[in-house]
Amino acid sequence: MQLIDKLSILADAAKYDVSCASSGAPRRGSKGQSGIGSAGPGICHSFTPDGRCVSLLKILLTNFCLYDCQYCVNRRSSDVPRARFSPEEVVALTLDLYRRNCVSGLFLSSGIIRSADYTMEQLVEVARLLREVHEFRGYIHLKTIPDADPALIEQAGQYADRLSVNIELPSDTSLVRLAPEKTVAGIQRAMGTIRYRQQAVEGEARAPAFAPAGQSTQMIVGADDSDDHRILHTSQSLYRRFRLKRVYYSAFSPIPHSPATVPQAAPPLLREHRLYQADFLMRGYGFRAEELLGKPGNLALDIDPKLAWALEHREQFPVDLNRAEPSLIARVPGIGVLSAQRIEQLRRQRKIRYEDLRRLRCALDKAGPFIVTADYRPRQDSSESLRLRQQLAERPAQQMALW
Amino acid sequence: MRCVRVDGGFADWRDKARTLLHEGVPPALVSWRDELMPADLFAEEALARYAPGSQVTVPRQVLELLERAARFRVAERWALLYRILWRVALGDAAAALPGDPDGSELHLRIKAVGREIHQLHALLRFVPLGGAGLPDYVAWFEPEHEVLDVACGHFAERMGRHSWLIATSRDGVWYDGERFDYRAEAPDEWQTLARTPDPEGQALWLAYYRSTFNPTRVNPQALRQHLPQRLWQQVPEGRLIPALLVQARMGAQRDGQAPEVSVRPGKRIRLRQQD
Ligand code: SF4
Repeated sequence: MQLIDKLSILADAAKYDVSCASSGAPRRGSKGQSGIGSAGPGICHSFTPDGRCVSLLKILLTNFCLYDCQYCVNRRSSDVPRARFSPEEVVALTLDLYRRNCVSGLFLSSGIIRSADYTMEQLVEVARLLREVHEFRGYIHLKTIPDADPALIEQAGQYADRLSVNIELPSDTSLVRLAPEKTVAGIQRAMGTIRYRQQAVEGEARAPAFAPAGQSTQMIVGADDSDDHRILHTSQSLYRRFRLKRVYYSAFSPIPHSPATVPQAAPPLLREHRLYQADFLMRGYGFRAEELLGKPGNLALDIDPKLAWALEHREQFPVDLNRAEPSLIARVPGIGVLSAQRIEQLRRQRKIRYEDLRRLRCALDKAGPFIVTADYRPRQDSSESLRLRQQLAERPAQQMALW
Repeated sequence: MRCVRVDGGFADWRDKARTLLHEGVPPALVSWRDELMPADLFAEEALARYAPGSQVTVPRQVLELLERAARFRVAERWALLYRILWRVALGDAAAALPGDPDGSELHLRIKAVGREIHQLHALLRFVPLGGAGLPDYVAWFEPEHEVLDVACGHFAERMGRHSWLIATSRDGVWYDGERFDYRAEAPDEWQTLARTPDPEGQALWLAYYRSTFNPTRVNPQALRQHLPQRLWQQVPEGRLIPALLVQARMGAQRDGQAPEVSVRPGKRIRLRQQD
């Protein structure tokens, strides 16, 4: 089979893993040195027609797989074309596309062939060739095979910027049902191994780096009936236990010859979007899962989770932008962390007025009912949350544009 | 009214602005001219270079912001900068902050310049060339603002000792693996080299682009938001986009597999008997 045909098959097989970040690695470069590649802030080299960033060469080493995960296009019972790269082929492709400035690195994963250990060895070999033989300093993300020997995971972390183990599904029972060969214990053990190794080098300036861009995971949304409440709590506990950098949410995407155990249709992409917004509020704004969703159920689709929280907590508003703590200002719908900082900066010079917010590009239609400035008090201050919600809800036409 | 022409970029403007500031000429009385804003009724004047010794102090940070914003190509770009300089020199520090009417315009320009640098880093595509006296890689790019000289260092970090040449319709830079040769006006021969076509070389990348796209998630608005249509011609995959959009929208496809893959025969895998 020609290289280009393998690439078509193995990129197609890898695209259901949504992570494509190339950020978080320590700054490094090759100026004046042998070898090639730099790392720094992530770069999106292109966008596919679904609006997703293309930053890394995201492929599988092979889509032959002995496992039978029901939601996966590569499961052994799936009738898909199969292909396999040699480690050298992956290396050559990565370097070629890197030099052309098409990608900033490699995200490599694989179906399970022969055994977990054998598969992991192959992935590590690709990273080793890139780093040691070709002195490649671009970004490498390796998917970690859960049941692989911890010694292999340790090796992987010496070469890779990021390691990830997919949690796959939000609940343990769903995993048992839909991914019979995988175990929660195995997945968590791998996450724990990575976390343990990271801790071992933390604060040790001279220790060799271990997966410096951290570990991430992916959860499939809508392949089972877990609700957003369950999903956010699972994420929160993963963030706490394993210090994950990111949890990625992937709306279940119907696959060819779908088995009867998984849905035939995708969940609304808007649901995935709301989960990302809620996740961002947990990571960047100090919200807890139980604040965002107090009881079982899903996040609202018609309003974003920050607005939903504000409408439930009217007693905290309106917030006086000339007095409030920046962390509270950042909790106002339509005002982000950056704007909150800028407001704080500006108010040291003079009083904040309503017009200032427009110039700071705050979403005033959202923020309006929740703020006080030197020259403004909300009229809707007294109006009921339900009325406000109707006014502020996004119309369906706008929903698409969100992605 | 004073009519002052800037043709040496930011450094030239800074010298002239200092002189005017020192002479106490308020912004409303200066009309700035440059290549985008040629002469008019007023005769342009040659300004004596600012005489060192008589100090005007402006925080270094503010000068750095002005330098950034000066890269934004727009007629009248210098008037805003002088107004801010004037206000800051008189003690009005808010003039350079994003919440201020002048400051917000300044920061919009800075943001646009930053975006342009980022886009150059992201969307430029190198074509392998090599050969005696030729750079290993060449690229043609057309940034909207004047960013090549600050943006190009990134590629020395990325490409190690490889030599490369980047040209735009205005300027160009040739890196020989050790030193940068930047020209505000790229020689014709650089421009020709930089536009070397490479249809076959792009085949792998285009195949990848097609396959990594999931047609069940097609979203033209999101695509346009991140990759505005004017940029489609900057990148080789841009010409695939219209067809991919149509294909996905026709709904022929209810799963995510690329058509190039689904036409191939499939293979189920049988487990070997365990003993
Ligand atoms: S292990 Fe499961 S999820 Fe991974 S490739 Fe195989 S079938 Fe797919």
